[in-house]
Amino acid sequence: MRRYIARRVAAFVATLFFVSGLVFVVVRVLPGDPALVIIGPEGSPEAAARLREALGLNRPILVQYTEWLARALRGDLGVSLQYDVPVGRLILSRLPVTLPLTVMAAVLMAVTALPLGLYAARRHRRAGDYLAMVVSQIGIAIPGFWAGLLLILLFSVHLGWVQSGGFAGWSNGLWPGVRSLLLPAIALGFFQMAVLVRATRSSVLDVLREDYVRTARAKGVSELSVIAKHTLRNALIPIVTVAGLQLGQLMAGAIILESVFALPGLGRLALGAITARDLPVVQGVTLFVASTIVLINFAVDLLYLVLDPRIRYE
Amino acid sequence: MRHLGTLLLVALAMLPLASPAAAAENLVVQVATEPPGLDLTATPASATAAVVFYNVQEALVKVDRHGKLVPWLAERWNTSDNKNYTFFLKRGVRFHNGREMKAADVKFVIDRAMNPETKHPAPANYAAIGDIIVKDDYTITFTLKTTTANFLLNMARQGSVIYPREAVDTLKSEPIGTGPYKLGEWVRGDRIVLVKNSDYHVKGLPKLDRVTYRFIPDPNAALAALKAGDVDAAMFGLGPEHIPDLQKDARFQVIVGETTNDVIMSMNNSKKPFNDVRVRRAVTYGINKGDVVKGAMFGLGRVIGTNVDPLNPYFVDMSGAMPYDPAKAKKLLAEAGYPHGFEAVLRVAPQYYYTVRTGEVLADQLSKIGVKIKIEQIEWGQWLSRVWKDADYDLTIIGHAEAWDIANYANPKYYFRYDSAEFQKLFQESEITVDDKARRELYVKMQKKLVEDAPVVWLYIHPRLAVTKKGLQGLWKDLPAPAFDLSEVSWAK
Repeated sequence: MRRYIARRVAAFVATLFFVSGLVFVVVRVLPGDPALVIIGPEGSPEAAARLREALGLNRPILVQYTEWLARALRGDLGVSLQYDVPVGRLILSRLPVTLPLTVMAAVLMAVTALPLGLYAARRHRRAGDYLAMVVSQIGIAIPGFWAGLLLILLFSVHLGWVQSGGFAGWSNGLWPGVRSLLLPAIALGFFQMAVLVRATRSSVLDVLREDYVRTARAKGVSELSVIAKHTLRNALIPIVTVAGLQLGQLMAGAIILESVFALPGLGRLALGAITARDLPVVQGVTLFVASTIVLINFAVDLLYLVLDPRIRYE
Repeated sequence: MRHLGTLLLVALAMLPLASPAAAAENLVVQVATEPPGLDLTATPASATAAVVFYNVQEALVKVDRHGKLVPWLAERWNTSDNKNYTFFLKRGVRFHNGREMKAADVKFVIDRAMNPETKHPAPANYAAIGDIIVKDDYTITFTLKTTTANFLLNMARQGSVIYPREAVDTLKSEPIGTGPYKLGEWVRGDRIVLVKNSDYHVKGLPKLDRVTYRFIPDPNAALAALKAGDVDAAMFGLGPEHIPDLQKDARFQVIVGETTNDVIMSMNNSKKPFNDVRVRRAVTYGINKGDVVKGAMFGLGRVIGTNVDPLNPYFVDMSGAMPYDPAKAKKLLAEAGYPHGFEAVLRVAPQYYYTVRTGEVLADQLSKIGVKIKIEQIEWGQWLSRVWKDADYDLTIIGHAEAWDIANYANPKYYFRYDSAEFQKLFQESEITVDDKARRELYVKMQKKLVEDAPVVWLYIHPRLAVTKKGLQGLWKDLPAPAFDLSEVSWAK
């Protein structure tokens, strides 16, 4: 186990190293110059050239990367070109939006998808199954940003129950914060819920066809026990795998929904930084997201151990 | 689905109603873009000016709501020879840090703008200044190396705002000035809050206690926020397609005004076939600008025929100078050696919605004279590098929001690559001609020369489209300067 963890940590570091190098090169090779974006067409190319020099963007890429890496290893991700604020502080300031948004969407996804998938599997090829599949099909077909706009139209514009966008902050208490994240979390979670319903249904269906389920039923074990003890736990491994991947996708989906709901989260920070060619921020956010996804995958692998005692990592 | 929906409805029904509309002295404004820093002396971005210019920081001279230059932080000025200008500063004007503005601050600010080390985005505006002499705390004289007709205008530009020297290092995140509002807070990615400056040098202003700028980039989200009552005004970001519906809605007032933003289709004058004036004229004759405004802008926007915008005192209406005439266009193309037309690529940046829509209408119109256009959408950062900086394009569409930007046509390196010695001579003359009548004549000549050479197609003025809740008063109708002056804005009692 220790060797396994050491291997995973080494892979983690290698991934971050690779991602940082790749992003560094890609954002600099892309046409577009941060100095030009800051100066804009109202200024002059000469002013942009002077700014470019001052920002140190004229030096060779390798020199820039080595410098960045040396500072990053000490925990300094640089300063945002656009905001003039340390990147680390900028990322931390966006987490109180993106983290709860993703968690709320994930919880929403899990608490609706698992029962619905289970229900569909139990009602295989009956009306309930078809209905659940239709719901999931709708969820897959509706893009998150459109679902978001529809929700705003209904709950903010027509009913006036929640605000149409923006983030109330956590300083005014838990409820105002949760309320401003509710619609985006629903819009974000709905698509992933639809995917997870399908995964849950097919995984449970597979297990329900197993001999040990038939045996349990033949022994007269109650249906509740058959489902909870014998079926669900055995069906969970593929479900957890899909759900783990979906957590990563939720973070990607947050980029679009944070724009629709005008939320000051990590996704919008990344989007704005790419448009403004705010290289240190693009770099910092990418590293942060990559680390999170690697950690989620690691957590999923550890969860396999709990779910199936037969699994060993050596 | 039904159960899920019911559950959601029940859950949401338990929510308390949205908070009541903000108190009358507060204003929440939607803007589409977050400023790339708040330092007017470092970025000419309109998103920065929309927040800071006139509201937080001001200059010696101001362009007022009618486009006129008026004394502002200087209560008056005089010049006997158009080379030595003496400004008499208004007394008792205090910066937001409490210190009184003195002539030494003005000298510091302009010296800094002239210094190439400080990376001011428009140092050319100060290139003619020779000496700056502080006579006393409230009197300062500028000696110009050459007569400069635009000197006072340059002193009114956003890059000439006066700030205290002790705040120079924090302008980007905490600008300090003399304006009617002080910066309250900037929550990056979400909002900027301005609060009333109770010590403002104009008595009785400002009328609002607090202004919140919320950054909502998506036009549909901006519309929803307005309709839901979450913002009081959408200043920039709603498209012309939203206007007819909002004009009918009794809850809102719609302001449609003029701007200095001329939307043009530029042709690369250094590249075949656009290096031939006959081709450029043919393209101009092949475009029905009225239909472009109808098709791309829902009929909102004034058709123009040359660079100078209607808010400029030297504006001449040239919209009819080269009217839509496809037969003439085809004849000119044949003369130039393109009897069957040619193919060209139109590069546009969809960040500005009107560029793509206008391009689609133009592509259709120009196909009728045999010019086949392929539209290529590129991202804004790329547009700036490839089109604007390197002139790597055939055709492009963009709005030029800067006022008094005819100088671009006198710069052969500008992305139009228009190089006319005659025009450049006229422009140089206009820069040193101070007499208003003589200068106006030069401006008329320049505009006629531009129409004749057709370096670009001037299409229309992008209208100022602002929508506010009923009862908000004091907003500027037209935008002769790149600012949203909120000093006189208030709620009707």
